[in-house]
Amino acid sequence: MGKRGPSRIKNNIRTLRFMNDEMSQKELAKRVGVTRQTINAIESAKYSPTLELAFQIAVVFNCPLEDVFSYDPETTTEEGNA
Amino acid sequence: MTFHQKNVVVTLVSFSLIMLYMTVRIGWLVQTDSFTDTNVFWLWGVVIVMATIVTIIGMILTHIVAAVRETIAHGEADESVDDTKDERDIRIDMQGTKVTYTVSSTGVALAMLSYVLGQSALVMFTALIFVGVIAQVVGDITRLVLYRRGF
Repeated sequence: MGKRGPSRIKNNIRTLRFMNDEMSQKELAKRVGVTRQTINAIESAKYSPTLELAFQIAVVFNCPLEDVFSYDPETTTEEGNA
Repeated sequence: MTFHQKNVVVTLVSFSLIMLYMTVRIGWLVQTDSFTDTNVFWLWGVVIVMATIVTIIGMILTHIVAAVRETIAHGEADESVDDTKDERDIRIDMQGTKVTYTVSSTGVALAMLSYVLGQSALVMFTALIFVGVIAQVVGDITRLVLYRRGF
C-alpha cells in the first residue's frame, strides 16, 4: 500500500486558482479531465497526482511544473532514516 | 463523495448484509443438524445469485439517486451523472482489488488446510464462500479508507 499521511509533494494550486480569476475546483477538474474530489485531494495533499496530470495542471495555469508542485526533502530524509 | 465512492458504499452495505445472512443461515443449519451437502450448496447458489442481483440493482439505484440529486441541485432535468473514473479512482480500485485478492487467497489456503487437517469437505466449501464475501467487504473498506485518508 502507498505511504501514509500527508503527501511529501506540496502544491500551490489553491494560490494559482485564486490568481486565475478564482477558478473553481470544478472548473480546473473539468479542464484536466478528473473529478472535483481528485483536485480537492491533491490540494489538501491527500493524493499525489501522476506526472501527466501534474503537467496538465501546470499547462492550465500556464506556468512551469515547479511553480505548481514542490518536493519536501526533509520529510524524505526522515522517512529514509526511519 | 464521487459516484464511485457511493458505489463502493452500496456494495459494502450489500455484501455486509449478505455476510450477515450467511452467518445466521449457517448458524441455523448447524443448530438444527441440517448441515448437509444439499443445504450448503443451496446456500452457495443463493449467495452467488444474491451477490449478482444486489450488485446490479445497487449500481442502478446509485445512478438513479445520483441523477435525482444532480437534478435537484442544478434545477435541470437533463443534468447527467458524472460517473467518470479518473486516475485516483483507478488507483484506489487497484489497491482495493489487491487487498481483496490477498484476503481471498489466504482464506482459500486456510479453507484447504482445514480439509487437509481432517475437517469435512462441507466445512471447507462453507469457508470458501464465506471467505469470498469477507474478501469483498475488506476490499471495499480499504477503498473507502483510501478515499477518506488519501494515499
